[in-house]
Amino acid sequence: MGKIIKGGFLAIINVVFIWIALYLLSAQAYLVFALLLLGALLTNFIFILPKGYPYRYLLPAAFFMVLLVVYPIMYTVYISVTNYGTGNILNKEQVIAQFESKYVLEPSSEGYSFQAYRDSQDRLWMLFTDSEGRQMVGHDGELTPVQAGDPLLGQLDGFTELNRVDLVRATNELSAQSFAYDDLHELRMRNINAFSLYLQQYRYDVASDRLTDLQTGTVYEPIDGYFQAPDGTRLTPGFRAVIGFDNFRRLLGNPQITGPFVSVFIWTIQWALLSVATTFVVGLFLAILLNDPHMRLRKVYRSLLILPYAIPAFISALIWRGLFNTELGVINQILRATVGSSVPWLQDPFWAKVALIILNLWLGFPYMMIICLGALQSINAEMYEAALVDGATSWQQFRHITLPLLMVSVGPLLVSSFSFNFNNFSVIYLLTRGRPPIVGAQTPAGHTDILISYTYRLAFESGRGIDYGLASAVTLVIFLITGAITFFNFRFTGALEDVNKNV
Amino acid sequence: MKRLTTIFVVLVLAMLLSLPVMASVPGELLIWSDGERAPILTEVAKRFVIEYGITVRIQELPFGDIRDNLAIVAPTGEGPDIIVGAHDWLGQLVTDGLIEPIDVADESQFLASGLEAFTWGGQRYGIPYAIEAIGLIYNKDIAGEDGFQTFEEMIELGMKLRDEGKYAVVLPQPDPYHTFPFFSILGGYVFGMDADGVLNPLDVGLANDGAVEGFELFEYLMDERIMGRATPYDTMMSLFQNGNAAAMITGPWAFNDVRSAGVNYGFQQIPSYKGQYGRPFLGAQGFMMSAFSENKMLANLFLNEFVATKETMLAIYEGDPRPTAFLPAADIINQDPDMRGVMESAGEGIPMPAIPAMNAVWTAWSDALELVINEQSAPRPAIENAVQLIIQTIKDSGY
Repeated sequence: MGKIIKGGFLAIINVVFIWIALYLLSAQAYLVFALLLLGALLTNFIFILPKGYPYRYLLPAAFFMVLLVVYPIMYTVYISVTNYGTGNILNKEQVIAQFESKYVLEPSSEGYSFQAYRDSQDRLWMLFTDSEGRQMVGHDGELTPVQAGDPLLGQLDGFTELNRVDLVRATNELSAQSFAYDDLHELRMRNINAFSLYLQQYRYDVASDRLTDLQTGTVYEPIDGYFQAPDGTRLTPGFRAVIGFDNFRRLLGNPQITGPFVSVFIWTIQWALLSVATTFVVGLFLAILLNDPHMRLRKVYRSLLILPYAIPAFISALIWRGLFNTELGVINQILRATVGSSVPWLQDPFWAKVALIILNLWLGFPYMMIICLGALQSINAEMYEAALVDGATSWQQFRHITLPLLMVSVGPLLVSSFSFNFNNFSVIYLLTRGRPPIVGAQTPAGHTDILISYTYRLAFESGRGIDYGLASAVTLVIFLITGAITFFNFRFTGALEDVNKNV
Repeated sequence: MKRLTTIFVVLVLAMLLSLPVMASVPGELLIWSDGERAPILTEVAKRFVIEYGITVRIQELPFGDIRDNLAIVAPTGEGPDIIVGAHDWLGQLVTDGLIEPIDVADESQFLASGLEAFTWGGQRYGIPYAIEAIGLIYNKDIAGEDGFQTFEEMIELGMKLRDEGKYAVVLPQPDPYHTFPFFSILGGYVFGMDADGVLNPLDVGLANDGAVEGFELFEYLMDERIMGRATPYDTMMSLFQNGNAAAMITGPWAFNDVRSAGVNYGFQQIPSYKGQYGRPFLGAQGFMMSAFSENKMLANLFLNEFVATKETMLAIYEGDPRPTAFLPAADIINQDPDMRGVMESAGEGIPMPAIPAMNAVWTAWSDALELVINEQSAPRPAIENAVQLIIQTIKDSGY
């Protein structure tokens, strides 16, 4: 029985692997395909061979970590050295194919009406008639001029002529037809009613890797993701190409971008610290209240207080945006009715920051409350009895027993909460979008922009359209910053050290 | 073990058969449409099947996702043949090499400005079905039957209304799209044209004297409490619905909300100031063709013979009332006074620039508006700094 379950499980996993593999192959993602293949082999090996037994849990985890964490990071590194973005979406082969399939309509030529025939072997024969009634028969890429009474015309009569419905159904076949008219011109399908003379515009030479404009004779050379003429004109579309460290150079060497960076960076740190501090203080306070066994209806309060956590942050943020509205928001209406003046919540740099902290407090305190509640319950009650015997005040109990013991289990979570808020794009974006703007800033930047929302602006609101290359470069820089901060946090708070050392 | 092998084989076969195949296939058309257009296209597709026996499949996507998904999916060969979209996507889609020119069989059937909006480098890239432009929606009970002909009239009424705590006009703020008429009214523009009719991204006309004067009018209206300050779209709408604003500057998408509030309203073009009319951005929606389509000729045929017809265009209008860009259907559609108003406003319109550099404009421009709305800067330095920033950003990105 166990064997059947095991085998069935393995079969299902393999099916999933094959399914993904086929998709990856069709998308030509060979690198991921290779990784997947490796994972599949390892999985099978572990399940089938007794030797692999100890690795049964470790290897799948490692495999998925590579696939879902390491690979995306590597890919980001790769994109950061390319020009991937608006104008450079396609790969080089696709761009060359597009240029080579560009035909220019010969302006002087009038269209040819046509009739199409199929012979007994299903091959297409075409009869073209120009506006003056001159006729040509086209077959297999060749044109033969014909006069009335030509035997070729008689031959066509023997074939089946395609009616309109047949023509429509054969459009793909017809539009693939091309007849050499003279050295330059080709007769190609223009629409369902006519063929016309076309000139091919570009020809690509594989050996020299050059694209030639057949009309003007200009030779284009592939440079940094574009086919470029000697005078510097570029053809669009461009293609994806590795451009080295240009994105990093643009990022770090440009005072336009680095200018507001410092102020954005400072606010990011303030934001992350304040978010953690406020939510932790409020969460801990509520947790201590709710932990008091003398309190009535504890469970009701607890459930109610968890509600903000249960409502999706997107909804809460948008509701708060309404509450903070300067003109019609409830908060300002209350303020006007009581204090007599209102606060420009989302327009003033200081108040916009306050509004953000309030919103994040609302969203974040239930989480802190939950983890503090759990941690409080794990503290041994005997310690408090001993403290009582020693005559400690309740502040002293909190200061010397509760807080240190709490920090042991909650400390690492505070650090990760810090990192999370450091990159808390959605709250910023939903409430203020980084606004209000900094007066005279040299790049679009606002007082409440944190690094990640600033990146977003740089990448997606740049002059070029979307710039994945630059965005990846910025992401890597932020990754290094957050990584360093987190590392030092763990290091100096000793959050990962042995539990009892802190006591 | 034998049984296991059987299970395995069966499962693999099942998976293989269920592989998703929503891709452009030779001999069949695939259209990506938004929800409003999809049911109408489905009907048209049925007629195409009956006439030619060629399947047309409609895949429904949110309007805003169509462009981004095309960029991701089309190069892998799994994209559609035809997409529904807006004209301002053109710049990005053409420079990305994702769409292909369309042979418009009879150009005289289309509103010239609609076709023009879908033109890039002298070639038509779309068959327009609707156009839109913002204008002034006014409350007939406050502003009178005929609305406002001039901003001067509006200021006069506003001086009286403000004593009752009401505004003469409101508009979404900060929002460059809705504020553009203030800039264009005395001669501001976003991008200037080169001699060969191509937009020049380094010629930004948002801080010329006319633009600054219009921007100063904008500030003056707020300072005098003739116009609401810092009103997002929802705030603007509720001020208008509750009769606390005589007029609002917005587009046809607001009609439903206005009607449902029971306001006795009218739609007119943006009033004139110093004798000149404020020109809004003109937008157009239409059908475009993927460069990766395997059925380009067929897609052309479908669009020209089955979509560009009075019947289809009227059905599109009934599904989602917007002024049509298809002239044979215009006589019927323009009997609706709202539509006629939007058409008149669009007649003054300037096609919203479709070049990718527009991305750089929106943010900086919006920041400049916000600084003036928040009284942190005067109009001239705010917009001059913004223009400088726009040009710098555009230069940085390689123009």
